[in-house]
Amino acid sequence: MTDCGCDKARAELEEYLRNEICRTDAADIRAHLETCEGCQSELHIGIVLTQTVQRACKETAPEELRDQLLVRIRSLQSH
Amino acid sequence: MTSTTAVAERIALAPTIDLSAPVVDWGVMSTPTPAEQAPVEPAPADPRALFEEQAIPFLDQLYGAALRMTRNPADAQDLVQETFVKAYAAFGQFEQGTNLKAWLYRILTNTFINTYRKKQRDPYLNSTSDMEDWQLGTAESATATLSSRSAEAEAIDHLPDSDVKEALQSIPEDFRLAVYLADVEGFSYQEIADIMKTPVGTVMSRLHRGRRLLRGLLTDYARERGLATASVKGSKK
Repeated sequence: MTDCGCDKARAELEEYLRNEICRTDAADIRAHLETCEGCQSELHIGIVLTQTVQRACKETAPEELRDQLLVRIRSLQSH
Repeated sequence: MTSTTAVAERIALAPTIDLSAPVVDWGVMSTPTPAEQAPVEPAPADPRALFEEQAIPFLDQLYGAALRMTRNPADAQDLVQETFVKAYAAFGQFEQGTNLKAWLYRILTNTFINTYRKKQRDPYLNSTSDMEDWQLGTAESATATLSSRSAEAEAIDHLPDSDVKEALQSIPEDFRLAVYLADVEGFSYQEIADIMKTPVGTVMSRLHRGRRLLRGLLTDYARERGLATASVKGSKK
């Protein structure tokens, strides 16, 4: 593995975060992250952003929707 | 009168049911007694029972997605109902063992695009392709130094959910959807591409741009709330 430098790391940080890049590229980015605090903090913001959106978007469907839905499905002919 | 009798019997029997009795575990039931077990199916054989068992547990998640799509609870409920009714009708075509969640999201997204998107009030919000990068702003330029970046992360982390939802509501629909599917639902790029019927490259671009917009908005909100400055004082690292 070789340190890929800031430009490549920044460009592919999101793919790295989501595990959407090949192992070699991931290893190069990891190598870079070990020594670059700037890119580390960018990665950290990326993670926080995902967690914040996840947390804010947790919803529970209203009980009446669940009930209505079950009634409707049960009234339909099954295929 | 048989049905009335049956109901009466059930009511009469109800209080005698021992609620503390362990739930039957089909996995470890090694010695079935055929005469007693006959009326009960170990696995739901009819499609409706299977659908209720497999698809209904995704209700909360689909409702959450529908809320982000339609941006109001009434439309979200309608959209979810329509999605489940369609899914139920097509359930025979669903291949057991494949990703049911992705399949349901495909129907949800399709239904939204075909019926709800048309009546949304802000049509200009949908057009993402004609937005240039300069219009999207650069989140990075505002956060040049290390300390300000860690403060930014902390500030975003402390924002109330209502701010995050508002920020999501205000970014273009295609971006919002990509961010939602990736960040909230954890779908892969390929799965999102299948759900949104776009190439993977488009998904990546929507995600990058959507997240950049979102980050900029959240940082602005944090600054307005005084969160950013408060964190800078507190964290020296």
